[in-house]
Amino acid sequence: MRHLLLAFQHADSAFPSGSFAFSNGVEGVAAAGARLDPAGLGLLLDQILRHRWASFDRIALARAHRAAPDLGALAALDAEIEAASLCAPLRDGSRRNAAALLAAHLRIGTPGAEDLRAAMRAGSLRGHLAVVQGFLWRALGLDEPAALAMSAYGAAMGAVTAAVRLGAIGAIAAQPVLAEALRRAADLAEAPVPAAARLAAFLPFVEIAAARNEAADLRLFAS
Amino acid sequence: MVALGPGPQGSSQDGVGAAARIGIGGPVGCGKTALIERLIPLLQARGVDFAVVTNDLVTKEDAERLRRSGLIDPARVAAVEAGACPHTVIREDPTLNIAAGDELEARFPGLELILFESGGDNLASTFSLDLVDWWVFVIDVAGGGDIPRKRGPGVIRSDLLVVNKVDLAHHVGVDLEAMLGEARGVRAGRPVLATNARTGEGVDALVEAIVHAVLFTR
Repeated sequence: MRHLLLAFQHADSAFPSGSFAFSNGVEGVAAAGARLDPAGLGLLLDQILRHRWASFDRIALARAHRAAPDLGALAALDAEIEAASLCAPLRDGSRRNAAALLAAHLRIGTPGAEDLRAAMRAGSLRGHLAVVQGFLWRALGLDEPAALAMSAYGAAMGAVTAAVRLGAIGAIAAQPVLAEALRRAADLAEAPVPAAARLAAFLPFVEIAAARNEAADLRLFAS
Repeated sequence: MVALGPGPQGSSQDGVGAAARIGIGGPVGCGKTALIERLIPLLQARGVDFAVVTNDLVTKEDAERLRRSGLIDPARVAAVEAGACPHTVIREDPTLNIAAGDELEARFPGLELILFESGGDNLASTFSLDLVDWWVFVIDVAGGGDIPRKRGPGVIRSDLLVVNKVDLAHHVGVDLEAMLGEARGVRAGRPVLATNARTGEGVDALVEAIVHAVLFTR
């Protein structure tokens, strides 16, 4: 129970992590004219979970969790994430979100947070979200399955919250969509993450929409 | 010449958290950015080493306005784009602002003061003390003489209430003295200041209040 409640605390959108400011491409998709009604949002979530979360974020987080607190190994993984993140707003957003999350943990006094920041300040790693999450969540005593569940929840909940805030769907109408997305994420999380698993994301429509939206005069989200 | 230390974050081993951090909030159009433009040369004249973090909601307008003003090194202006949640980024989840402040302190060692300008919000807006040591809430005469009577948390709980655009009072039918009196009446002794950011009237007193509140060595 204690472990579960700790995971709830750190996965909750009320935990100060900066995540609320990032739609991770959902705003760009909406701006491109895609309908985010229950069917449209469900399809988008399916794509995000299968083609980014499961094949990229999940792999990166699992590897970061296993590597922590070895900052050298984390730096190599972080460089791999940087190189494999082609869409600039999403790449920058990952680092900014991570910096905000780390800012909270520095104040809380999470073990190792100061060392991680020192490494980031020294330039040995940029600090992508999955790396920072893996490091911090392991330091808190959360195991790999819990960390993966928290990450999946963040990916699905973040996209749904963005759609609600954009006015594309109501908060109540979105709940069945979220429930289905979480079921899908749980199934995707069943696949093992081999030690040498590579990062692979393929969401061209979302990434192009996010890149186009970066130049928009009016935005509700940082990315 | 660190003034208030540790800051609201507590000082850390590398000195981050040493600069005093103050918030400037208030409704859309009340004159927050204009006041900061007036504050900049006065703080510079006192030799205060400072930087600004803007919280633009859906544009980069405030940050760009300050960067292009010629008043301040553009590198000392950081923009936190937080989407349409002006209160979230200064209260419920100020981590993006905290990180921006930490980054400025790392980039400019010796920084004494960071001004956090909130995005335009409503009268319920307040700053988290996780983010700032002291905060100002700005309202303006043209927004209505009855604003103090509405007793929003920003009006009541801010460390300093600024009533801006006092030159417009007679144009918009506001009894300025009555408005200021009501403002003082709802604030349980906390200070109220009248300003006109267009002419600079009252801005010296605002600088003095900031220095008195957080820059103890000045």
